[in-house]
Amino acid sequence: MRGDLVLRVIAKLLIPFILVFALYVQFHGDFGPGGGFQAGVIVAAAIIFHALIYGLPMTRRVVPEWVVEIMLASGILIFAGVGVATMLLGANFLDYSVLAHEPAHGQHRGIFLVELGVGITVTGVMLMIFYMFAGRSRSPHSEK
Amino acid sequence: MSTTLINTALLLMMAVAAVAIARTRNLFSVVILGSLYSFLMATILLVLDAVDVSMTEAAVGAGISTVLLLATLYLTQSEEAKPHHNPLIPLAVALVTVGLLAYGTLGLPEFGSPDSVIHKHVAPRYLKEGPTETGVPNIVTAVLASYRGFDTLGEVGVIFTAGIGVIVLLRRRWRSDVDEKDT
Amino acid sequence: MTHEIINLASWLSISAGSIFCLIGALGLLRMPDFFTRMHAASVIDTLGAGLLLFGMMLQAGFTLVSVKLVFVGLLLFFTSPTATHALARAARARGLGPKLPDRK
Repeated sequence: MRGDLVLRVIAKLLIPFILVFALYVQFHGDFGPGGGFQAGVIVAAAIIFHALIYGLPMTRRVVPEWVVEIMLASGILIFAGVGVATMLLGANFLDYSVLAHEPAHGQHRGIFLVELGVGITVTGVMLMIFYMFAGRSRSPHSEK
Repeated sequence: MSTTLINTALLLMMAVAAVAIARTRNLFSVVILGSLYSFLMATILLVLDAVDVSMTEAAVGAGISTVLLLATLYLTQSEEAKPHHNPLIPLAVALVTVGLLAYGTLGLPEFGSPDSVIHKHVAPRYLKEGPTETGVPNIVTAVLASYRGFDTLGEVGVIFTAGIGVIVLLRRRWRSDVDEKDT
Repeated sequence: MTHEIINLASWLSISAGSIFCLIGALGLLRMPDFFTRMHAASVIDTLGAGLLLFGMMLQAGFTLVSVKLVFVGLLLFFTSPTATHALARAARARGLGPKLPDRK
């Protein structure tokens, strides 16, 4: 399937729209269905689609492994960091009301940051699992 | 009435897909049937008005899981090995457990009834004051990220641990992979 | 009055779309060969889904929902022929040929 003209054209056409849709789902999670988990999975699906059409080495060049590792860790760091920030501002852990001048605004900001962290971690983990699985070659003893 | 009909039809299709997964030998067909099962599950979740979960289930189950299973299938043989023993006793144990669980669900309150106990404690407060307190109209996101933020932190921690586990278990340097095969 | 016409048109459109989905499913079961089965299944993606979406758009009127339905239709328009192409190419790469009549 690699390098087929029709698939390459359609992939080039569709992958940007899938990524934009993932961003829409991430940031529109406040007003409609969506949120961090869904957006993370959609971004991972777009990059896996790229890997299926263009080959895994090409995708490793576009999204290198160290980027995925950083994504994996920084998502949960953002989440816990919001909690620590609220503690430094004087309230309990993960009490978003103190993040802004008004409790409702603070909650909104806290939810935004927390969902961002969730989305980044989910993307990183899905991509890392795919890279680990798809990068293995067939070892001789499994051919029966 | 029409909702019951749709639900029954979808659940029947899911049961048929599950039986087909259990009975098929060819693992490639099993993977595709698994993807079909996930897609039917996403549709049932949509009919039950759980749109967020349905979106996640469709993307993970019918999309990424299938690709991962196919990548795994590439590494091993694609025909299931014959079972060594007669599966009658495990089947009997499974049927007895299913019977006990089904008998247990008779004691639960009716499906979706607003008088059940879980809808009386904090849920009315979340529904009434969620949009004003958090400034976010979507109740699911408000409960997930604000009211039950600790649970979401734990969830992200679990996902992170899964990623770390996969890295620790499966990562190899490419050169040492070749060296191992030579020795 | 036009409300009734729109209702009738959308009813007809959705019924016709469902009938074409059934025809496609029947063709998927009864056709003799892999390639003919794929060709029968493509009816579901084109006529079936198209008529169903059109009926739903008539129901929704000139709102944002219609625009979203148009986008769903565009997505199906781009991805279902690609899927059929990929399937057929994979089958050819494995050596599966169409079932030709015996020439004797």
